[in-house]
Amino acid sequence: MALPAGTKLASAVCTAQGIVIRPPEADGEITCGGVAMAVAGEAAVAAEALAEPQDGQALPGKRYVDQTTGLEVLCTKAGKGAFAYDGRPLTLKEAKPLPASD
Amino acid sequence: MALLDGIKVVEVAIYAFVPSAGAALADWGADVVKIEHPETGDPMRGLASYGISPGDGGVTALWEVFNRGKRSVGININSPEGLKLLMSLIDEADVFITNFMQPARQRLGIDVEQVLARNPRIIYGRGTGQGPVGPDANKGGFDGLSYWGRAGVSTAAMPPDYDYPVMLPGPAFGDVQSGMNLAGGIAAALYNREKTGKGCIVDVSLLGSGLWAMQATIAGAYARRSDNIVQHDRYRPANPLANIYRCADGRFFLLGMLEADRYWPGLCAAIDQPELVNDERFANMKVRQANSEACVATLDAIFAKMPLAEVFERLNSQEGQWSMVELPGDTVNDEQSLTNGYLQMVKFDNGADLPFVPAPAQFDGEMPVLSRAPDHGEHTDDILGALGHSMDDLIALKIAGVIA
Repeated sequence: MALPAGTKLASAVCTAQGIVIRPPEADGEITCGGVAMAVAGEAAVAAEALAEPQDGQALPGKRYVDQTTGLEVLCTKAGKGAFAYDGRPLTLKEAKPLPASD
Repeated sequence: MALLDGIKVVEVAIYAFVPSAGAALADWGADVVKIEHPETGDPMRGLASYGISPGDGGVTALWEVFNRGKRSVGININSPEGLKLLMSLIDEADVFITNFMQPARQRLGIDVEQVLARNPRIIYGRGTGQGPVGPDANKGGFDGLSYWGRAGVSTAAMPPDYDYPVMLPGPAFGDVQSGMNLAGGIAAALYNREKTGKGCIVDVSLLGSGLWAMQATIAGAYARRSDNIVQHDRYRPANPLANIYRCADGRFFLLGMLEADRYWPGLCAAIDQPELVNDERFANMKVRQANSEACVATLDAIFAKMPLAEVFERLNSQEGQWSMVELPGDTVNDEQSLTNGYLQMVKFDNGADLPFVPAPAQFDGEMPVLSRAPDHGEHTDDILGALGHSMDDLIALKIAGVIA
């Protein structure tokens, strides 16, 4: 599924929401807590709510990236689930300093 | 004793020079907020230098040492909204420090008049390569160039038998001296502000700091009508008791007995060579200079048989000054340095650790407890939230790429 920049995402298993800042280079499925997220206001697939927070749970204001495809998701609302893309957990974004050497 | 407790510093700076000034101010208790680009951050996070690479030992050492104890906020100050946020931080700040070059500062709207107009009580600390005026004012600089090369350090440090002048001995060697000069200037400017209520501009350059370090050499070369000092020749020194020696283990040590006649008999006794005291070639400073090569060869032969532990024991039993010549990696085990707090091991969450050197001025015998440097944009939400921005505002700024 295409995920252009600006696409709004909502978790099916918790309160987490996000927005696509950078689209992925390859199509795939964005999930939260292992379940496909509702994309661009579509109805979410019914799923059981998460009881416990997962490792890497979505925190508001944090940016999450998929190193493989370049997908970047900004979390806009906290939730217990963690984001993943095509099964790869998204990781917290780090600085990309310009290479320098002396 | 955090003398600068309550002082707010905004740092718009990259690499090592001005960030090291920020680190010193943070060591003294100031709240230092570092502005980083939301995407790339300070290039120091990615700098490889002298065989040290980001991530070595589980940490990015070169980033950590110059940014310990600060908070990081990711703002793109090259956008109108970003500049507005920066100016809100400047409104509350006591000190603004930068090493952005003047044309860039002017273009960004953070030059002296723009910042002082916004906050007349602020201290504006500028770090430059070559100073704020003159033909090279707007030419960039690094310490290897402006501090080390242009100030004459490189050629003065060149051993007599070397083909080229010596390069900077380690990363940021001149930057940290210059940064400390800037931190000192800022401390004086803060005192001035308490008296007058007004901020001021503090200028420190790499070139000026290099010249400061070289002042005895420069004045001395001028006085002897030469383009350089006379470099020490360890095989023929003027004073063999102010020279470098090697012991049986291959380790080096220095004798620094400037008043050599006072210490010569004690040294000879300590190394079990009583007959040397009155040896007519070596009995006083004048003949030791005349017979320098022989004196050094004699001492070399004696020390070459002594393991390090023996050198320690024997030289510590006499009064003349001496010191081990340590490798940088060995300094972290020096009990004297550790006891005085000159080195501090800082632990990281991932189990890594790193020695930090606190700003060396101690107040009331206390040393600050240092902590790690911030992650990129780690405090963006806290700091901008404290300015009154809601999470929704911040999310909108993040989507727009204004903040990290």
